[in-house]
Amino acid sequence: MKEIKFEHIRKFYGDTEVVKDLSFTVKEGERLILLGPSGCGKSTILRMIAGLEDITDGSLYMDGKKMNDVPSGHRNVAMVFQNYALYPHMTVKQNIIYGLKVHKLPKQEIQDRLDSVLDMLQLRGLEDRLPKELSGGQRQRVALARATVKRSNFFLLDEPLSNLDAQLRVSARKELVKIHEMFKQTIVYVTHDQIEAMTFADRIVLMYNGELQMIDTPTNVYHRPANIFTAKFIGSPPTNILEMDYNQGRIIIGQQSFELTEMWKRHIKKAQIENLVFGIRPEHVQLSKSPSQNGLKGEVKYIENQGDSYSVYLDLDGQEMIALSEDRHWHQGETAYLSPQLERIHLFNKETENSIGYPEELNETENNMEERGIYV
Amino acid sequence: MKTNRAVALTWHIIFMATVLILVFPIIYAVGMSFKPLQDAYNNVLNILPLHPSLENYITLFDTLPILQITMNTFIIASVVTIFKIVTSFLAAYAFVYFDFKGKEILYFVLIGTIFIPFTVTMIPNYLIISEMGLLDSIWGVMLPQLADAVGIFLIRQSMKSIPVSLVEVARLDNMGHRRIMKDIVLPLVRPAVTAVGIWFFISTWNEFVWPVLILKTTDNYTLPLALQMFISSEGGTNFTVAMAVSVITMIIPLILYLIFQKYIIGTFTSSGIK
Amino acid sequence: MSTLTGIWGKFNKNRGNAFGYGLLIPSIIVFAIFTFWPFLYTVYLSFFDWNMISPEKEFVGLRNYMEVLSDSKTYRIIGNTFLYIVLLLAINCVVPYIFAFVIDVVLKRFNGFYKSAMFLPAFISLVVGSILFTWILNPVSGPLAIIFGWLGLEIPNWTKTQGWVILVLSLITSWKVFGYNFILLYASINGISREVIESARLDNVPLWRLFLQIILPMSSATGIYVFIITIVQSLQYVFTPVKVITQGGPDYASSNLIYHAYHEAFVVYRTGHSAAISIITMALFLILLFLEFKLVERGIYYEN
Repeated sequence: MKEIKFEHIRKFYGDTEVVKDLSFTVKEGERLILLGPSGCGKSTILRMIAGLEDITDGSLYMDGKKMNDVPSGHRNVAMVFQNYALYPHMTVKQNIIYGLKVHKLPKQEIQDRLDSVLDMLQLRGLEDRLPKELSGGQRQRVALARATVKRSNFFLLDEPLSNLDAQLRVSARKELVKIHEMFKQTIVYVTHDQIEAMTFADRIVLMYNGELQMIDTPTNVYHRPANIFTAKFIGSPPTNILEMDYNQGRIIIGQQSFELTEMWKRHIKKAQIENLVFGIRPEHVQLSKSPSQNGLKGEVKYIENQGDSYSVYLDLDGQEMIALSEDRHWHQGETAYLSPQLERIHLFNKETENSIGYPEELNETENNMEERGIYV
Repeated sequence: MKTNRAVALTWHIIFMATVLILVFPIIYAVGMSFKPLQDAYNNVLNILPLHPSLENYITLFDTLPILQITMNTFIIASVVTIFKIVTSFLAAYAFVYFDFKGKEILYFVLIGTIFIPFTVTMIPNYLIISEMGLLDSIWGVMLPQLADAVGIFLIRQSMKSIPVSLVEVARLDNMGHRRIMKDIVLPLVRPAVTAVGIWFFISTWNEFVWPVLILKTTDNYTLPLALQMFISSEGGTNFTVAMAVSVITMIIPLILYLIFQKYIIGTFTSSGIK
Repeated sequence: MSTLTGIWGKFNKNRGNAFGYGLLIPSIIVFAIFTFWPFLYTVYLSFFDWNMISPEKEFVGLRNYMEVLSDSKTYRIIGNTFLYIVLLLAINCVVPYIFAFVIDVVLKRFNGFYKSAMFLPAFISLVVGSILFTWILNPVSGPLAIIFGWLGLEIPNWTKTQGWVILVLSLITSWKVFGYNFILLYASINGISREVIESARLDNVPLWRLFLQIILPMSSATGIYVFIITIVQSLQYVFTPVKVITQGGPDYASSNLIYHAYHEAFVVYRTGHSAAISIITMALFLILLFLEFKLVERGIYYEN
């Protein structure tokens, strides 16, 4: 049972509560990503697992045992730091095996582990270099190697790729996956980069202001955001969030309105919430030059080139809406007609900012779509 | 904006003159130490002796147990340095890597002692040494000099520049403080420790105030005291012998300066004052 | 010590913290015996009349302070002390500040040489310096007197002349102190981002403005530190040339509070007076430091 369990964990620095009543479980052998903007408490959570931060309140279980007061060294945890934390006065080899030597592992065992990790992470030939003689990518791999040779049950990574450039990140991610497939450690990985989270995670924990916002698979975090924060944080450009009124099956934004499908109407009725906020991703808004049925219209304010498409910023009776369009012939001041894909909209409770959920029919479709590989 | 040549030249002249004032006496002392006294009086302006002689050194060895005195100075400087370096390193480690109540206050109080004039502790320390029966002994010279917070300050500054994550990695590997200290922290602060050590050695070697109070017999003297003998009692008549003692006093500091100058400047430079 | 044992319990679960205290013990013991207790004992002694030998100490309350403060000698010596402070600050704070600025920012050549050469005397005994300068500055037969003689100038008999004696002793002390302060200030100025200096140069800011408005504020944390150690430590360094050359004479003209405390204790054996003078010295230092902070506080820019 190499699982990690948080039970009502809180953390204070002086009077500031940086982690608020947190409960969740990291499953054995899972790749869990802690995602959130800086200062959201995600690093603190990781450091609590490592035993580098005290836990103010609540219980932390690892492998079924309560760990609150167990010192770092007894937690069977390996960690990769953002700055790699390589010992500057030791060579690559010494860095990797230092921990093993201190714990007096048999010579042969140390050598075997060293050999396998040198090969796996392409560090052959660099054994006798000092960290300052390595490139950033190499240092990152040494840090990974040093954590890997411990063969710990728990593998913690604190923004391990944030000091690498974009291309190196891709290869480093592959190496991480390779390590995980070989040793099946329970991985907890902190990042503020949603691409890393989407590509690497089995599940994502999204944090904001010390509070857990959502814990789910990357697909669900993207397509079924639990609240407004999640919807806005995930995806680029972000989800459009608009003030709205609901009246008899129609969503009213400013002076305009459009009609929902029957299943949404039933769902809203069932949820018994009519004080709503409207959300839709830019890629789920269709834009055209001619009026469409059941659509809205807005004025083009600004166009941003995204390479394969264009983000068109529209003014919708005073509110901003972004739509993705492949057509590059949009001009400032032009009127654009937009129609939201009705099965892709999100509705949130205005008071709690939580999602009111989705019609049952859509949930089924969701699963089908995922199986058919429609979501990437 | 280019610096005006004339302005630059003026500055260079000023600096060269300053360097001359600062360094000339040292060279002058060496020259004088090889001159017979009469020659020194007659040819005051000659830096180099016309007829170099070892006369002064011979007089010196005849009148004073100079080897013993040098030995005393060396022992005092070494013991004080080693003790201060070890205790400062340990204390700095505690201040950087442990959290305990009152840490800030304790640190503040210790560092504050740097700014206490020595006269404030002078009489009681003299009485302590006297009570311990250590007057006129090298131990009496050493003991009160052990309380010095400069090392704690400088080594702590250097330790603070080590990324905390290095120590955290070691903690995750279940390494004890003893090992972290020996294998990780000490190697990384070694330049600072060396520089502080050299500085301690030099200042103890040159220490004058405290030995003057404690030491009475020439056999127990340190070099700066021996030096003073030739000026205070005989009104400077033995100037050239005094220069010979000066040269002996300066040799070790000068050698250390030549070897470690970069290190020391580097430590004062990087430690900064915050 | 009681506070220490009090905290002990809190960290009992973690043996590591006991170890942490262990590391501090040697330092704490040494400081307790040779700094903290002596300090308290000096305060105690300042209320007694004693000659260091007699078995009896007579409690006299504040009389030592009254006597010291009603003695006109004391005011002379305090005056001397301030004169020393002003001279030492000018020579070892203002001058090296400007030198460090010019060497680091204005000139491009010989920087390393200047640094090494100016730092050198910091390694050498001030007793050596005192003896050497006594000879070099001898008003009759010294080399400088002879050179001055060619120009028709005279060197005053400074060991015997009020005012001059303080100036010359300050200069001798500065010979040792100058380089150390210079290195600290140089390091601080050298640590200022070159971009800031370069952008000022692009704006064609004159050098004196660059110094006063950019370098000075940006290195002020070190500047203040050097200011303080110049007052506190250089004044103690002055003890050496005073002891070696003038013993405070002529007629206390070269004495300062530090030397005077020594003189009272170990020459005339009035420990009560000496202790009172030491405490007054410390009080004066504290007031100076306090004023310094009050005046400069707002302008401090902390490096990094």
